[in-house]
Amino acid sequence: MALCFAIFGAITGIVLWSITIAWYWPHVLPQSIGLDYWLQVLGFQRSWSLGAVSIVDSFYLSVIIALIVVSLAMLIAIPAGYVLAKYSIPLRGAILLLFLMPQAFPQQPIFINLMLTFYRLNLIGTIPGVVLAHLMASLVYAVWISSAAFKSVSPDLEEAARSVGASKLKSFLHITLPLAAPGIIASSVFVFLYSLDEFTGTFFIGLPFITTLPMLLYSASGFNMQFASATAIVLLIPSIAFMVVIERFLKAEYISGMGV
Amino acid sequence: MIVLYLYPFASSIYGSFVSDQGIVTLQFYETAIINYKADILFSLEVSLLSTAISAVLSILMAAYLRLTSRRIARFFNSLYRIPLFIPFVVIAQMMRTFLAPHGLLNVFLAQFGLINLETPLQLFDWKGLTIGFVWKQTAFMTLMTLGGFTMIKDEMIEAARSVGASVLRVVWSIMVPIARTIIVVALILTFASNISTFSLPYMFIGGSVPTTMTVDIAHRVMYFRDWGTANALGVISYIIVFAAAIYYMRYMVGRESYG
Repeated sequence: MALCFAIFGAITGIVLWSITIAWYWPHVLPQSIGLDYWLQVLGFQRSWSLGAVSIVDSFYLSVIIALIVVSLAMLIAIPAGYVLAKYSIPLRGAILLLFLMPQAFPQQPIFINLMLTFYRLNLIGTIPGVVLAHLMASLVYAVWISSAAFKSVSPDLEEAARSVGASKLKSFLHITLPLAAPGIIASSVFVFLYSLDEFTGTFFIGLPFITTLPMLLYSASGFNMQFASATAIVLLIPSIAFMVVIERFLKAEYISGMGV
Repeated sequence: MIVLYLYPFASSIYGSFVSDQGIVTLQFYETAIINYKADILFSLEVSLLSTAISAVLSILMAAYLRLTSRRIARFFNSLYRIPLFIPFVVIAQMMRTFLAPHGLLNVFLAQFGLINLETPLQLFDWKGLTIGFVWKQTAFMTLMTLGGFTMIKDEMIEAARSVGASVLRVVWSIMVPIARTIIVVALILTFASNISTFSLPYMFIGGSVPTTMTVDIAHRVMYFRDWGTANALGVISYIIVFAAAIYYMRYMVGRESYG
């Protein structure tokens, strides 16, 4: 019971605020509710309140950046994951560790130094800059999961294909890739969600021109509870949707076996 | 990858030791420690506290999920994973509504007469930060711990129960030691994640004192253009994470010799 309250109580807060028009204490529930703020947030209505923003632009920006990051990540991770899975190259452990570090170690100092480098390269406040920053931190999801996915494809199948005359490329495209597809799709979604929700890197590298959804949430939270809450919900939706879908695959037993 | 990660990583260490004139110096560390000693300790304390609370809660939850076979357990299984997928920025916003002086938690408690709304619980400080961290990280730790517990065979648990061990004893003396490698990994990752988070502290307690190291790093860079001190703080955080990892590993592996 306490667990339910703990988990849902917090979520209820933003749901209620997003449909609130006036809510002053000590009332437990909002005094008047309506979808006005949602309409303003989604850009259907002009808003006169302080701190008003339309999240449509930020939403598109976030999604576009996330899609670019996913494409680039997969472009790198599929070959890299395949090589790491199938061939025993030296330093394999070190390479996997290198990819892991952006997530395991404090990220912020990395981002601020990247910021310095990007200044000289004129990448601050640009989309490519933000894309590169997201890429750096999320490649681990792409490479590790793809590598695990390729590893789970039995080499016998590939050999069977080769032995009936298929070229290496063909056997990869028609046998290995489809079999590893669930893992690869899972890793793409992870990367997508990561990029969508990324705040720290975008804060340092994207300001002042790139305003992704999390950045918007941050600036709105100071002024306007309703906008902030609505934006928070919009950010929530892809993650929860993904969670529902992957619920069937993310069994705890598999987690214990993940890794090198 | 090398360019994107190793170079900034190296330059963060380099930048903390070398001043603008190119001289090796410890002045940045001096500035960092003199100005931010309280904040460094604050970050450390909050991260340790949240990690510890998360660990206890997650072990209890994972044990419950492992040991029970009722259908309610499957519902909980989906329930506890929700925070896992919610980004820190959204959590920050949620906590702002939930933990505010007249937010849902306070108003809820007031309905039961537990607090007086004239003097509500002020949670926009380390307590709120800890709550935020625990809310998110417990889900992650439970996932990992449950993975570890699932590998324990039923027979072992039954054997312990059959000689009269209570449930808590079974959990503490049998299940946790068997799964300890995974638990240690979860602890390290959670601690590292807590101490290096920027979004949650910045949105939640950004202006107050004391604040976390990550917020200080941001201030140093944004307002003072002082990369040296910011990097010094960053390296201090690397050291803390590294030391914690080594400590946990040693501690957990060390116990084996007393096994």
